[in-house]
Amino acid sequence: MTHHLNKLVQSGQEKGFKVEQNVDYGAGPIDVVWNINLHSALPNIKCGFVTLGAEEEEGSQDTEDNQLSLRKIEEAAFRGIRSGLDKVYLVTENEDMAKSVSGKIEWLASHGSLIRLDAISLGLAPEQTEQAVITPSQKRVPQGEKIRKQTMREREAKLEKYNRPKGERKRREHPLKKRVRESKIDKHGRPRNQKPKRT
Amino acid sequence: MSQQNSTSAYSEERSRERLQMIDTLKAPIIQLGRDLGYEVIENHDLGAGPVHITWVFKPGSESLPDMRLGFICLTEFSNSSINEGIARAMLNLVDKLVFVVPTETMTKEVKDAIESMPDTSILQLRKYVTVLTPSTLVSKSGIQGSRERRSAQTGEVV
Repeated sequence: MTHHLNKLVQSGQEKGFKVEQNVDYGAGPIDVVWNINLHSALPNIKCGFVTLGAEEEEGSQDTEDNQLSLRKIEEAAFRGIRSGLDKVYLVTENEDMAKSVSGKIEWLASHGSLIRLDAISLGLAPEQTEQAVITPSQKRVPQGEKIRKQTMREREAKLEKYNRPKGERKRREHPLKKRVRESKIDKHGRPRNQKPKRT
Repeated sequence: MSQQNSTSAYSEERSRERLQMIDTLKAPIIQLGRDLGYEVIENHDLGAGPVHITWVFKPGSESLPDMRLGFICLTEFSNSSINEGIARAMLNLVDKLVFVVPTETMTKEVKDAIESMPDTSILQLRKYVTVLTPSTLVSKSGIQGSRERRSAQTGEVV
């Protein structure tokens, strides 16, 4: 992990940012901070990187299945916020873990709290090459998938319409409607060679 | 092997003591909340982790949303437990958070930690967090204010 952090330090320096390492502003340690100066008249933007490690937590490693506990994620994110950082990136061991962290952040933010955690914090893998921001499912799911689901829904609605009703609907059904339906089922529900011949 | 056993026994003992202390800190707050007629929820959790106690009350009008006052008990001072407590409270939609600590010394430590946040920070936590001991909360509510006292003596309606 130290190797990855060094990469982050190097990368920040190459971009011309002022980089701080292992700093503590009073809320706990922050591994790397990039101070980004966009314009001399504007205040610096502080991007912090906090590593989420595979520490022992109540007897089992919480990174065994690429999942980090909500407790760790919340704590690290708020450590960054309390330290006055504008963005807090939670650095994980691999991309799967980073995705899981970002997903959990999105979920935590979805309750509609005072703070939009997903606007401040994000999971990030050191070797990550593709965009770390989670794409909404509306964009992520291919169009074909949607069409397939639509067809399935239509088929289910059709079955619901013509099948024998169950439960409450069965009790409320009008006898005439029931007779018509049963005769239709009798007529169309048989195999082709057993269908009654037309007279 | 025996060393491992003794270590685990020690940690178990510590966690039991911690839970016991949390219960001791919680008890007067639960009682006070009920006495004041608020809805009291123990371990309020919408998914971000439990908030030990929450008082839910209606701020006077049906058209206004319910207010939630959250209480989180801290048994020892650490920045990570403060971070975690604030995260839980905010993400569980608590409107105001009260850290309940066992001693006055710890009250000062936690207060200082919260007030030491940079001024440029997006959050001004001192407006969201209050730190106190259970005795402060209970005794203050039991004592009448000077105005109330005077009115009781003179029979004046406030």
